[in-house]
Amino acid sequence: MLKASAKSLVQLQVNGQAQEISIEPRRTLLDALRVDLGLTGTKKGCDEGTCGACTVLKEGKPVYSCLTLAIECEHSRIETIENLAKDGKMHPVQFAFIEQDALQCGFCTPGQIMSIKALLDQNPKPTESDIKRAVTGNLCRCGAYPNIVKAALSAAERLRRGG
Amino acid sequence: MKNFEYVSAPNLASAITQLQGSNSKALAGGTDLLTEMKERIKTPDRLVNLKSIHEMQGVRDDKDKLWIGALTTLSEIESHRFIAERYPILAQAAYLTASHQLRNAGTLGGNLCQSVRCWYYRHPDLTCWLKGGETCYAQEGINRHHAILGNAPCIAVQPSDLAPALIALDAVVRLKGDEVDGDLSLDEFFVLPDEGLRQRTVLGKSDLVVGVSIPKPAASSRGIYLKSMEREDWSFALVSVAVQLNFAGSKVGTARIVLGGVAGKPWRAKSAEAVIQGKVLNDSLAEEAGAAAVAGASPFEHNGYKVVLAKNLVKRALLELNK
Amino acid sequence: MPKVVTQQVEFEGHFFEQTVVIEGDDITPWGPEKEFSVVGQPHTRIDGSERVTGGAKFTHDIHLPGMLYGKFLRSPHPHAQIKKISTSRAEKLPGVRAIFTYENSPEIPWRMGLTKLFDKRIRYAGEEVACVIADDESICLDALDLIEVEYEKLPSVVDAELALENNAPKLHEAGNLVTGKPETYARGDVEKGFKEADVVVEGTFRTQVALHNCMETHGSAAVWEGDNLKIWDSTQHIFGVRDMVATALGLPKHKVRVIKQYMGGGFGSKNGAGKYTILAALAAKKTGRPVKILLDRREENLLAGNRPSTLQIVKIGATRDGKLTAIYHKCIANEGAYAAWVAGSTGPSTRMYACPNVKAENFGVFTNLGPVAAFRAPGYVEGTFALEAMMDEVAAKLGIDPLELRLRNYAEVDPTSGKSFTTKGLRKAYEIGSEMIGWERRSQIKKQNSTATKKIGFGMGSQIWGGSGGPPAYSVVKINNDGTAVVLTGTQEIGTGAKTAMAQIAAEVLAFPIESISVELGDTQIGLYSPLSAGSMTLASVGPAVRGAAEDAKKQLLDVGSQVLNIPIEDLVIENGDFLNKKSGERTPVKKIYEKLQNYMIVGRGARGPNPADKVVNTFGAQFAQVEVDIETGKVTLQKIVAVHESGRVINPLATRSQLEGGIIQGLGFALCEQRFVDPHLGLVLNASLETYKIPTMMDIPAIEAEMVNMPDPDVNNLGVKGIGEPPIIPTPAAIANAVADALGKRIYELPLSADRVLNTLYPSSQNERSS
Ligand SMILES: Cc1cc2nc3c(=O)[nH]c(=O)nc-3n(C[C@H](O)[C@H](O)[C@H](O)COP(=O)(O)OP(=O)(O)OC[C@H]3O[C@@H](n4cnc5c(N)ncnc54)[C@H](O)[C@@H]3O)c2cc1C
Ligand code: FES
Ligand code: FES
Repeated sequence: MLKASAKSLVQLQVNGQAQEISIEPRRTLLDALRVDLGLTGTKKGCDEGTCGACTVLKEGKPVYSCLTLAIECEHSRIETIENLAKDGKMHPVQFAFIEQDALQCGFCTPGQIMSIKALLDQNPKPTESDIKRAVTGNLCRCGAYPNIVKAALSAAERLRRGG
Repeated sequence: MKNFEYVSAPNLASAITQLQGSNSKALAGGTDLLTEMKERIKTPDRLVNLKSIHEMQGVRDDKDKLWIGALTTLSEIESHRFIAERYPILAQAAYLTASHQLRNAGTLGGNLCQSVRCWYYRHPDLTCWLKGGETCYAQEGINRHHAILGNAPCIAVQPSDLAPALIALDAVVRLKGDEVDGDLSLDEFFVLPDEGLRQRTVLGKSDLVVGVSIPKPAASSRGIYLKSMEREDWSFALVSVAVQLNFAGSKVGTARIVLGGVAGKPWRAKSAEAVIQGKVLNDSLAEEAGAAAVAGASPFEHNGYKVVLAKNLVKRALLELNK
Repeated sequence: MPKVVTQQVEFEGHFFEQTVVIEGDDITPWGPEKEFSVVGQPHTRIDGSERVTGGAKFTHDIHLPGMLYGKFLRSPHPHAQIKKISTSRAEKLPGVRAIFTYENSPEIPWRMGLTKLFDKRIRYAGEEVACVIADDESICLDALDLIEVEYEKLPSVVDAELALENNAPKLHEAGNLVTGKPETYARGDVEKGFKEADVVVEGTFRTQVALHNCMETHGSAAVWEGDNLKIWDSTQHIFGVRDMVATALGLPKHKVRVIKQYMGGGFGSKNGAGKYTILAALAAKKTGRPVKILLDRREENLLAGNRPSTLQIVKIGATRDGKLTAIYHKCIANEGAYAAWVAGSTGPSTRMYACPNVKAENFGVFTNLGPVAAFRAPGYVEGTFALEAMMDEVAAKLGIDPLELRLRNYAEVDPTSGKSFTTKGLRKAYEIGSEMIGWERRSQIKKQNSTATKKIGFGMGSQIWGGSGGPPAYSVVKINNDGTAVVLTGTQEIGTGAKTAMAQIAAEVLAFPIESISVELGDTQIGLYSPLSAGSMTLASVGPAVRGAAEDAKKQLLDVGSQVLNIPIEDLVIENGDFLNKKSGERTPVKKIYEKLQNYMIVGRGARGPNPADKVVNTFGAQFAQVEVDIETGKVTLQKIVAVHESGRVINPLATRSQLEGGIIQGLGFALCEQRFVDPHLGLVLNASLETYKIPTMMDIPAIEAEMVNMPDPDVNNLGVKGIGEPPIIPTPAAIANAVADALGKRIYELPLSADRVLNTLYPSSQNERSS
């Protein structure tokens, strides 16, 4: 039985790497990523599960890292936006976001991209409505929505053609 | 959040023991509890994580009923093949709940036990009646989201989308605690708060929801879940309605009509059920049932629209099922 | 040669005189016939990869070794006097490094002197009482719980109309009227105008408070390097923050450096420094460590600004043949606790139509609520909603098509000054837009698609706004010895794509590939002064300076190239980053000539020229909406919206389209679901969260067809561009509201058009049943 109250060492599996941090139980996964691990690509828009900027993949599924305790993630695989580009080559979703201008300020963008990446991982041929549903939980105040749909469709196409 | 002691419970018995501590709370998906803790509405000194408890997991088809463990996520409910086939209204209710990310984390048990969304209750600077204060500020305040049915000292509505759907399906909830151990109809699990018990469910502090079971519906049974929201999606219901009808030929056999967003608990509209029972559905009967569903409604300054909305949703749901 | 000029400038719908220094005569504008290779072509963002990889550092992401964090204690009462404050318990909490209150902080005047950094008088719930600095944000929050404050509660007022009553609680010595008097405008004689009218319509409108809800909340990080203060601030105006901080702390401006590279939205709410900025600086000084203070979502929604609610009365008179004879427009706006200006909600009524008699009165009222801030086209969104609703009512009364009525009153010249417009593409916008939506066929579409419970309706709205930009704005273009170029300005990229547009301009002028251009901005130390990125003025102000600098650099480059290559300058051009000898066809890469020139660097300078004195600059547009109203649930669905706007020359059609869509989407949120709620008795904001303050999600987005009337403006500046940031939000709510009125055959005079409002209008008896 895992038990902790003050700061304790917690092992995280972030982007394929084992990381050990010393945190209190109240540390959210979001703060652990941003503050303890310096992975600031994941954003904090609300810290209360209402915006989607903090979306990361936990065991491949998008969740709000602001409503996840870091201590609960001990044995889970966590993937963040920093893991998408490989060897300086962007992921097709990232590429499509640029190509379709699916961002304005870019603050919601990492979260949007993680939601779409998770969708495409599990459904390579999504419909427009699948895409919309996948990012309903990712608010974009700039209103890049129409282009986000276009980007997801174009990324799916590119992935089907082999990246 | 205030800091707390974190305990991951290996099994049900241990969780129940851990919860007996002075100010302990059960943690499932955390999507509701952590929001309350961040606003310091709840400040437990111990969180007991339920997620490794085997007894609370899984969806099982047990001959005449379906078992859904309390830790089943809303995403699993939404996409489970059995559920979609046999209990479409539950899948629809899950589909219309929150957002994809929240459904991935939020659980059935947490959804049924979640706190009210009343903005006076959730206001960090107010101690309303439900939080142990004197006043239900909503009664004289901006009560557009509040109850039109059911008299209670607190007029916040039950926010769960799954609850009305499950009650329409005659679901039974399995509870376990240091004093309770057994099944209860989900309808009775929810209560209106009163002076003696300022809460929404019958759960004692160390009691847990282990899961729910739903009887297998008759072959002639059909259901629908409709939800009205302030925007297209990702919102709590202004009003929702779950209807499950057993047809006897062209006539309605048994009927379940349960409203969400209108009362302190999921509201079974028994008089509306009576209106249609044994009858052939048509426009005017559906209208009549809608009117019966809100017959005793007494709205406040800002929620009169809910009376119309609830009435129209009941009517629409019945007509959809008659198509 | 510097030249001092005084000119009429426009900002956010307000006009004033300003003296500016410009540099010599401006270069000849790019005429309408000019052909381009980069400008006018869709171009993806040059900083896209940083934004999609998580590499872009927003203010939130600034993290320095040893950094401390700050959080504010905020008043739970809307109106109070602080009697006593005790921080001793909080100070003892391990990890707490400093606590600031009125007792130990400098008395810095705030909000134009209406309050102070820490004021013992609290004027709204959420106002700053103390600030805790600690090792971690959660320690700050724990410490806030331990601060004891004794308040004397004062009677409060949150309703603007009530605040104007004689016995209302007073927020400020001078009373509750902002600036002490309404802003008024008059031309002709409205009384006479109404007498001459064959029909007169009048309506009372209410619009709600809208919250900006930028995804990145306001915040700052500060660090002292010796006696130099370095600040990262999520702002639309780095020079503005610098000046405010320097004044507040009594520092010379050059000692304050403000940096902002990436920002998660501003929409008008980030035009200056916040108390968080000042406290980060004070705390960094006191602790000798970097300090970051960020607002949380709740704070953001309580105090980081809002679009004020309005009560508007609009009265219009017209003759039988549809000529307007008089417009009267009165607006009362709820400005919250502090304001120094009132948004121009009556502006559309004074400037949109050719009407000889117009009277406008614009009141701003102080109440015990968080203060207003500019919000994308402040005033004009609200004012246009009311004006265009009444235009539709005039049309209905006269049996004239709404579009036809607008055309009959089309202002060929600016009705307020009689001057002509530099360009006005509104007629074209009406023409294209009405065609795209099927305006002529709308009654058929309505008939075909409406059902017993779902009603289809069509509506339109017109838009006028400023957007000229203006001096001062400067730029430098450097040509590096590897043949690349750097555009240097002091403006900011707030997500509109300004950086990319400036690279396009420089690439066009220099005839360099755009990949070889980089753009440096967002830093007061190295940048050249540029105005705030608000009022749709960034590109129209800074872009012309960039062109000037690039032209200057190019001239020098050709000069040097001709000498190094020994080719007469007349025969030399630059093409795709190479010198091209027009006679011989011989090409030499630009970087080649540098090989002989050591570390020679070309530096071109440019400055924004003045705006035309004899003409008026405005942007225009028209939108057409098709809605479906579910009369059983009250749900309004925007099915389709067509937007056609004219803002001069389009530099980047891709980014422009994004601006149009973004504006429309915020407009649809304002029309349909966004609304701040305040408890009238408690004076508390009830929905300071994104769960209860509803902004549109992906699912709310209709089919959007957006187009620009590409009409290079020959007079506004050397590029022919006007701003496009704000215009697209202006007519959206008007068009939607008119479409809903068309669908229902009944008008709703309040926004948003939420389900409850629609149902209460359709079933009036359902309201207030328990009103005992
Ligand atoms: C922005 C937002 C929008 C939402 N929209 C909707 C919506 O539209 N419809 C809807 O229905 N819900 C909605 N929700 C609520 C969401 O569905 C719930 O938060 C979620 O289902 C709770 O599950 P959880 O596992 O995360 O619960 P937790 O947060 O872990 O727990 C919630 C409460 O239940 C208790 N609890 C948890 N499990 C058990 C158990 N097995 N036995 C006893 N007690 C238990 C906890 O102690 C706690 O008090 C929304 C939430 C958010 C934040
Ligand atoms: S920061 Fe987690 S949902 Fe907004
Ligand atoms: S791009 Fe700005 S919030 Fe989405």
